[in-house]
Amino acid sequence: MSSNTPSSSAGGVGSADSAAPRRNSKRPKYSKFTQQELPACKPILTPRWVISAFMLVSIVFIPIGVVSLFASRDVVEIVDRYETACVPDNFRNDKVSFIQNETTNKICTRNLTVPKRMKQPIYVYYQLDNFYQNHRRYVKSRSDSQLKDNSSWDDVSSCKPEDNANGMPIVPCGLIAWSLFNDTYNFSLNNQQLAVNKRGISWKSDRDSKFGSDVFPRNFQNGLLIGGKRLDPNVSLSEQEDLIVWMRTAALPTFRKLYGKIERDLQPNEVIQVTLENNYNTYSFNGKKRLVLSTTSWLGGKNDFLGIAYLTVGGLCFFLALSFTIVYLVKPRRLGDPSYLSWNRNPGGH
Amino acid sequence: MSIVTTDTFSWYQVTRLVKQGTGRVTLGIGDGANDVGMIQEADIGVGISGVEGMQAVMASDFSVSQFRFLERLLVVHGHWCYKRIAQMVCYFFYKNIAFGLTLFYFEAFTGFSGQSVYDDLYMILFNVVLTSMPVISLGVFEQDVSSDVCLEFPTLYQQGPRNLFFDWYRILGWMGNGLYSSIVIFVLNVIIFYDQAFRAEGQTTDMAILGTIMFTCIICAVNFQISLIMSHYTWIQHFLIWLSVLTWFLFLFVYGMLSPTYSKNVFQILTEALAPAPVYWTATLLVTIACTLPYLAHISLQRCFQPMDHHIIQEIKYLKKDEKDKVMWKREKTKAREKTKFGFTARVDAYIRSLRGRLHKKTHSLKSKDGNPS
Repeated sequence: MSSNTPSSSAGGVGSADSAAPRRNSKRPKYSKFTQQELPACKPILTPRWVISAFMLVSIVFIPIGVVSLFASRDVVEIVDRYETACVPDNFRNDKVSFIQNETTNKICTRNLTVPKRMKQPIYVYYQLDNFYQNHRRYVKSRSDSQLKDNSSWDDVSSCKPEDNANGMPIVPCGLIAWSLFNDTYNFSLNNQQLAVNKRGISWKSDRDSKFGSDVFPRNFQNGLLIGGKRLDPNVSLSEQEDLIVWMRTAALPTFRKLYGKIERDLQPNEVIQVTLENNYNTYSFNGKKRLVLSTTSWLGGKNDFLGIAYLTVGGLCFFLALSFTIVYLVKPRRLGDPSYLSWNRNPGGH
Repeated sequence: MSIVTTDTFSWYQVTRLVKQGTGRVTLGIGDGANDVGMIQEADIGVGISGVEGMQAVMASDFSVSQFRFLERLLVVHGHWCYKRIAQMVCYFFYKNIAFGLTLFYFEAFTGFSGQSVYDDLYMILFNVVLTSMPVISLGVFEQDVSSDVCLEFPTLYQQGPRNLFFDWYRILGWMGNGLYSSIVIFVLNVIIFYDQAFRAEGQTTDMAILGTIMFTCIICAVNFQISLIMSHYTWIQHFLIWLSVLTWFLFLFVYGMLSPTYSKNVFQILTEALAPAPVYWTATLLVTIACTLPYLAHISLQRCFQPMDHHIIQEIKYLKKDEKDKVMWKREKTKAREKTKFGFTARVDAYIRSLRGRLHKKTHSLKSKDGNPS
């Protein structure tokens, strides 16, 4: 890197002429800033820098990619799609009426086989497809002030159409709370109940600051249309963790939300019986429901893409470094070679 | 072109004739009250403040105090200004396209309902604070070559009139770069944070988290890109680039500390959700490098195969060849200047130049055909 040493000053005149002070009295004061002569580093892209940059990127990225890929491969995941399988055969042609009928039996049994050893805690998720929690109308339909503080229990203006039922405000109001997911899962292994810890599944900041401990559900799911789960009016909102998890609207139409944690190890080839209640109506909009059991690594859940992307970019950079090395060896251009100046290449006029 | 006229024509009529006749950009310079018309008529008016008063200065676009300063105005400041403005405008297009298109891509995933993936305050601050300072410092301080080199090589000024830095190739190239960056930022982040947990504690991504991650990637990629464009780094540029990135994280931190009544979904998003998650930092690094890699490859190739004049001169200065090989430096300086002639001698001179060019091409092709100098 070369630094730019200050050259002669702007006026083209040399040092100040002290013999005629009146002539120079209007000359502005010299400063490096105003004369644009601040010391600067002027890096240029030499072949050495180009190849080093690409090699550095590939040296950093390829190990990160390998580590990420291994972390993702370590995660064990069981995914079970059940929304069609859990509808009895006689209702297969009219699933919507099955789900909306209050008298039909919604209990369904599923068997999950553990493929590899799963170390605790094992996270239980429900995954929904084609459910647009990120739709603008849906996202707006909530009242944060109502959720936080009991004194604003009637602030339901932003919650239309789920703001009032039978003339009274709903707590918690809005479409998001109204559509709370209400399938339940019970796990058993070898006829022994597997406990699912449903505490601590939401973000701590939500529990402490966004959902008040003095706010209780009121007038909830009292209208003509029931959208989802009913809430216990004796439990404050800060402890209704299913609601808190649901109210954090998902980014994409396919999403998973944490249902609970299983706090014991599962050995390979064990068969878990899941007794689930298929209550939630995803049939009206062709949504899919899946039950997911997953361990986590330091990177999170199972997603090979990060590791693959790092390896791809690292590999590409390595290939670019090699190609540039070959280019600079086969067809070198001497740095600072004046024969490349345009008036030397094309002396017949510019 | 030179014009000699008598007093029957006024100078502003001459300027208008030249403008309309040649269609070129004209510059008029004068120092007296009678020059005001010409100065205003010309595309660029330069006034000289001096013995004849300040009328010319008040009517002009630029004013200097002596006629000889015109050389410096054109060759140094004109050259720098052209490049600075061209680079600034292209970069502005690039960063806004990279940012704005991600919003449109996200709409495809929200049923086209108009839901923004970014918090409102992110979008307000993008152009005001988070990406504006480095590009302003580029526009104010950038120098491809120093001022004495500009004076020694007036040919470099020709890059302006020939519009080498703001032609359609460059503009569309930068827009394409913005398009590519927006696609990379969006697609990589959506796939990395798709539906699985992003932390060891099992939490999954929600819209606020995805929005913050994508925005972080945009800020880092766009600021890294400008550091690749700049060639003249003063402490100001360094400071402002780092400040922009740090301001983003500081803003996230402070905004997250406000009560949820104001910060809503961003409440403690950095401290609680994102900063402890390794995938946040690894995804940002990946996206930043992936966005700027094509540009780096492109400029390396361009510098290797089609170096421009200022690249060669930068290399000569960098390797200090101007001091080591003074003969070569003087020779190149002389070639970069031409004495202006007018009238008949100018046409003769141009004809001699074109003949010389044709001879040079012939000897070149003969040399390459039979390998020995003819």
